[in-house]
Amino acid sequence: MNIQFYQTILPMLFSGIKLTFMIAIIGILIGIVIASLCGFVLQSNFKIIKIFVEAYIWVIRATPIMVQALYVYYVIPKLIGLDFKANTVGIIVIALNSGAFMSEIIKGALLSIDPGQKEAAVSLGLSNFQTMIHVVIPPAFKIALPGLFNQFIISVKDTALLSVITVNEATHQAQNYAALSFQAIPTYTVLAVFYLVIISVLIILQKWVEKKMG
Amino acid sequence: MIEVRHMKKNFGELEVLRDVNVHIHPGEVVCVIGPSGSGKSTFLRCINQLETATSGEVLYHGENILDKKYDIRKFREEVGMVFQRFNLFPLKTVLENVMLAPVLTKHKSKEEAKRLAMELLEKVGLETKADAYPAMLSGGQQQRVAIARALAMQPQALLFDEPTSALDPELVGDVLNVMRDLAKEGMTMIVVTHEMGFAKEVADRVIFMADGYVVEEGKPSEVLENPKEERTKTFLSRFLTA
Repeated sequence: MNIQFYQTILPMLFSGIKLTFMIAIIGILIGIVIASLCGFVLQSNFKIIKIFVEAYIWVIRATPIMVQALYVYYVIPKLIGLDFKANTVGIIVIALNSGAFMSEIIKGALLSIDPGQKEAAVSLGLSNFQTMIHVVIPPAFKIALPGLFNQFIISVKDTALLSVITVNEATHQAQNYAALSFQAIPTYTVLAVFYLVIISVLIILQKWVEKKMG
Repeated sequence: MIEVRHMKKNFGELEVLRDVNVHIHPGEVVCVIGPSGSGKSTFLRCINQLETATSGEVLYHGENILDKKYDIRKFREEVGMVFQRFNLFPLKTVLENVMLAPVLTKHKSKEEAKRLAMELLEKVGLETKADAYPAMLSGGQQQRVAIARALAMQPQALLFDEPTSALDPELVGDVLNVMRDLAKEGMTMIVVTHEMGFAKEVADRVIFMADGYVVEEGKPSEVLENPKEERTKTFLSRFLTA
């Protein structure tokens, strides 16, 4: 290993890391929005919307994320006659995938709140919306938190699979570099350390948030 | 003030309330007693529509609140409820529990709500627990907070659904004392209870319910000491020997 190695690998990896971050963060944020809506629907009485939500979750859970990425990148554009950039597909796949798994987490958390709490709130004259915001969501959020963080971690790691659809995220960049330079050992070591560090940050953040919420 | 007419409630095949007629006057304390499964709690919950009555009317100051056009929130803001299992909000402090509804329903500013909440906590003997969380309190203390929370809406009447049934025997007294004080101040109260002593002492009227009907009602001295109906006699005798 020499200085030159680091001068080439680090900028390459760094651009990959930026993309990994961007896809993971945007994907998970959209995923949270999807999951909040779907999780709410799942524990509600909206029968028809519920069927669609359940079908969506079923399909996502029953197929590998790599196949989902291939499908959204190579098949769906042909079907609808539109082209997506690989990065856009990456975000869509992470969002749809994490959204489905987090829907189940959010549904479970909402259902775990004692119905007596809701009854107490509405019997004080609160609207259903106020009851949701002030009485149901805060404790449900606390219950959902470990599961959600777990999914954040899985989704960050899942971005590595987007290399199959040519997204130049960190793993793809490392593969490219290792193939060109024959420097597999240092390249993949740096890559592994990178994932280890960002996931560790997430784990520490989770512990901090959980402690903060008592 | 609250008049229940021909209330019926079915859960599927099961008829829980068959034909209940009750008239509550302002300032009156009415205790509802009866065996479990007689429909007492369902009766209470159908009044503020935590359950939807299958048929019948509930007139509140002459207005039918079961009417689809009536906004039930208005009734709930004026008639509070206290539950068997307290149902305090676990992530909020005692003070926040009591302040929440008056602030959200815009009856009070934060400062006003806080002042009133502290006053009410003092009234139930828990002003020192304002910053505690519900899990740190005993059942009896939690129930007194729940009463303060209901009072914070400055209600016209209160519904109590077996308020002491989930409490250890030695904690029942404090809760009943708070309720006794409320009765003395003229609060209109409907109390579903198994506390015969409380009913005898505080109630203006006792209603005995069984099998979804009001079997007998009258002054506590009549219903509890000289019941006319056979069903009431059997229930009370079981109660005394239990």
